[in-house]
Amino acid sequence: MTEVSHDHSVSRQAEGTSPPGEDWIAELTSSGPVRDDALRRLHALLLRGARFQVARMSALRGVVGAAQVEDIITLAADEAMVAVLSKLASFEGRSRFTTWAYKFAVIQAAVELRRHAWSRREVPLDAAPPLIERRPSPDQYAEGAELAAAVRDAIDRVLTPHQRRIALALIVDEVPIDVLAERLGTNRNALYKALHDARSRLRAHLALEGYLTPSTRSPGETR
Amino acid sequence: MTAADRSLPTDALHLLTTDPGPWLSCDDCFRLVDRYVEVLLSDFDEPTPSELAAMPTHLSGCSACAEEAATLLLLAATDEGVDPAQALHRLTAM
Repeated sequence: MTEVSHDHSVSRQAEGTSPPGEDWIAELTSSGPVRDDALRRLHALLLRGARFQVARMSALRGVVGAAQVEDIITLAADEAMVAVLSKLASFEGRSRFTTWAYKFAVIQAAVELRRHAWSRREVPLDAAPPLIERRPSPDQYAEGAELAAAVRDAIDRVLTPHQRRIALALIVDEVPIDVLAERLGTNRNALYKALHDARSRLRAHLALEGYLTPSTRSPGETR
Repeated sequence: MTAADRSLPTDALHLLTTDPGPWLSCDDCFRLVDRYVEVLLSDFDEPTPSELAAMPTHLSGCSACAEEAATLLLLAATDEGVDPAQALHRLTAM
C-alpha cells in the first residue's frame, strides 16, 4: 500500500477543537493574504489527494505513462479546486473539511486516469457473446457449479438486452463505469441503476428457481 | 475480449448473486462518502447512522465508488493518525 505523504501545514486545522472546516471556510471566504494562503494550502491538499489516488491505481498508471500521469494529477487538483470553491456553501461540517475536499480530488483523478488508460481500448458492446461454460475450478465447485450454470442461463433469458450488456461489461469484462458511461453517452448513475436492477432481477429469478434465499425487499426497491 | 474469454469468474458470480441492497445512486454515494469514512474511522462499536445504511452494499456493487472511498478513508486515517485496517475491512458489505 502506498504511504500517504503528510504535509502538516495542510491538515493542521483539522486537528483543532473548532467545528470541522470552520477555519478553512472563514479563510477561503476572506480576502487578501489570508485567502491567498488558504488557497495555496487547499491546492496542496488537493494535489496530495489526487496523487495518492493515482498511486493506488498501479495497473492503469503503468498503461498511461509517467509524464501523462503528472498531467492527470495536476489537472485533477485544478478541477477539484474549482469544484471545492464553487461548493463551499454546501459544506455542512458533517465531516472534516479536509476529508470533504479530498473527495473532489480523488474522484477527478480516478476518473481521468481510467479514461486515459482505456482511451485506446475497445469496449465490446454491440453484440455481447453468450457466456461460455468452462470446466469448473475448485473455487467454482465451492460456489456451486450448478448455481453458475443457472446464473449464466438467467443472464441470457431474464435480463433485458440493456441490462445484460451493462452487467457483462461492468462485472465480467470489468470495464470501468466512467469509461462505459462515456462510450454510451450516459452517466455513472444511470449505469449503476441498470446494474442494480439487473442484480435484483437475477436474484428474484434465482430465488424463484430455488437457487437462492429470497431477499426481504422487493426487486428494484428504491429509497 | 473474445467469446472464448467470456466465462463467468467466481467474483462475478458472487457479485451477481449477492443482494444489491437498497438503491443508492453514485451521486448520493459521493455526497455521503466523506461522512461515511469518518464514521468508520471513529468508533467500531457505534451502529452506522441510518442515512449511511446503503453505503456498504453500494460500495460492494460499484467498484469505482469503492476504489475512491478506500482512498478517501486512507487519506482521512492519515490526517487523524489512526490505523485504517478495521475501517477498510468494514467499507463494503462483502
